Amino acid sequence: MVTDWSYWAVQTLNGLQLSMLLFLLSVGLTVIFGLLHFVNLAHGALYGLGAYIGISAAAATGSYWAGFAAAPIVVALTGMLLYLGLMKRMRQAGPMNQVLVTLGLIFVFVDVFRLIWGDLAIGTAAPAIFSGRSDVFGVVYPTYRLFIIALGAIVMAALALVLSRTQLGAMIRAGVDNDQMAACLGVNVERIFFIVFCVGCALAGLAGAVAVPVFSAHPDMGTEILISTLIVVVVGGMGSLRGAVAGSFLVGFAQTFGAVLVPEVASLLIYALLAGVLVFRPTGLFPARA
Amino acid sequence: MFRQSLLKTIVILALLGGGVVYTFFTGYFGKELVIEAATLAILAISLDMVAGYGGMISLCHGAIFGIGAYTFAALTVLFGVHPLLAFAAAIVATALFGAVVGAITSRTHGIFFIMATLAFGQMAYVTIFESRTLGGDDGLAGVPRLDLSAIGIDLMNSTNFALFAIAALALVYVIAAFVLRSGFGRTLVGIHVNEARMKAVGLTVWHYKAAAFGISGALAGLGGAIAAQQTMFVSPELLVWMVSGTVLMVVIFGGIGTLVGPAVGAVVWVFLKHEISSITVHWHMIAGAVLIITIVAGGRGLYGQIEYMIENRRAKQKQPDETNVSPLAQERETHA
Repeated sequence: MVTDWSYWAVQTLNGLQLSMLLFLLSVGLTVIFGLLHFVNLAHGALYGLGAYIGISAAAATGSYWAGFAAAPIVVALTGMLLYLGLMKRMRQAGPMNQVLVTLGLIFVFVDVFRLIWGDLAIGTAAPAIFSGRSDVFGVVYPTYRLFIIALGAIVMAALALVLSRTQLGAMIRAGVDNDQMAACLGVNVERIFFIVFCVGCALAGLAGAVAVPVFSAHPDMGTEILISTLIVVVVGGMGSLRGAVAGSFLVGFAQTFGAVLVPEVASLLIYALLAGVLVFRPTGLFPARA
Repeated sequence: MFRQSLLKTIVILALLGGGVVYTFFTGYFGKELVIEAATLAILAISLDMVAGYGGMISLCHGAIFGIGAYTFAALTVLFGVHPLLAFAAAIVATALFGAVVGAITSRTHGIFFIMATLAFGQMAYVTIFESRTLGGDDGLAGVPRLDLSAIGIDLMNSTNFALFAIAALALVYVIAAFVLRSGFGRTLVGIHVNEARMKAVGLTVWHYKAAAFGISGALAGLGGAIAAQQTMFVSPELLVWMVSGTVLMVVIFGGIGTLVGPAVGAVVWVFLKHEISSITVHWHMIAGAVLIITIVAGGRGLYGQIEYMIENRRAKQKQPDETNVSPLAQERETHA
């Protein structure tokens, strides 16, 4: 089995799928880190919220796509409220206070999930057109997982395009590089911050809704994926799209292939990766600011 | 800088004395709460040493606490080591773990430091979780308590064990205060305030960081070994990163950088949790809200706010005297 190439092809697709999910989550977080210097531990909880909104919207309308559309919008709105109510005033408070306030938010979110959706894991079915299996280069693979990979690739390409080719992208890059200088040159840095924050939240919500048919939702799901997401962000280097891409692939493939090749130490692998990167390159592989 | 002020002495003595009195008048469950509060206070004080004074916000202190508990449990249960020896070994093991983490992470700052400590804590958690020898997911049961019958104390009696935990808390506080008051402690605060300047003065900064983390780790490990004896059972849940997060919450709630505050925070936390849990299952939501309010209100915490108000008033009372100082001296002061 191990020498069979289709086995490795399936593992590669699994790795890709996990990487894409991590990318959707971490890209918002990394740009929020880089641009706002804000440590948002509640990002994982927003992913959980996206999953639950996706389930509820799908259950109410009977269509998966309602959840797919509703989750990013509702999560972005929630993020907006959090930003205006709490995070804006924490901007200058230093990383420790931000870590703590958003840690407090995690506790609140997890209990809100319990209160509304209960303790048990719930899920929703994949949409009908993606529910079967597909043949990719002679390998049979669930179509829905291919959809996740494709969605991740599309978002990745769109973000790369926006960041490198549009004026908004140029303003974001300027803000990450030197926010004070950007402000002096007439860029409304506050508004850019706000837009980026909302888009980051929307992507986290989208990731949640997309993950549900594969992983099903439970109250602690956000807390569990948070660590992997943070590792992606720190390993990749804060604030850069390239870092988020590299980090997602590194962590996604380390987790997938670690479990296959070295099951004894698989779960240690990503932490060792994080520790190693922090020791030898304390600012990550591709930091936005040298 | 740390100063053992009169207020600190009064509050910590009141806390310890109150604990002793409460232990004698409460039932079995109350004593369990006293022990839980004492071990949490030990952990919170050890974290405040590095976080409040050294500026090293650790997200692995829960894991260090767990390593202390596991070292004690594994040595006694699996290898039949004498509990007293295992107790010492637990402290040594956590001191070493702390020192190694402190040394490796000494170059990182801010969020990177937090993430690095998180990584090491999670490594310890995963290692224990996956270790079949250590019971994996199921943990280890049948952990013995220290045998102090030689000096006529039976720790299987819950009153005695509660008093033992309070005594340990007192010892930990004294050690922490002693360390922070020494030249070493002053240097640690100096590194926190201005690391570049301390380097320029000729200090090998990482030595101090590693040593501080080692001492803090030893204290946390001591707390962990006591916690293992209280429940006579250890499970990997002790090491999960949310425990470290909770301890950080306790430190903030009581007052970071005050040493007494975290102990006050731990006691209030444990009893509040017990009271609120008897009314609603949503203790975490309330805890989260309390934390957010504490930070937004200025982040001084329960004890920290009181200390700040008292010292502020004292400073105001002193002001009339200071106006008598010659204008030159005043000017020199403002320029300093």
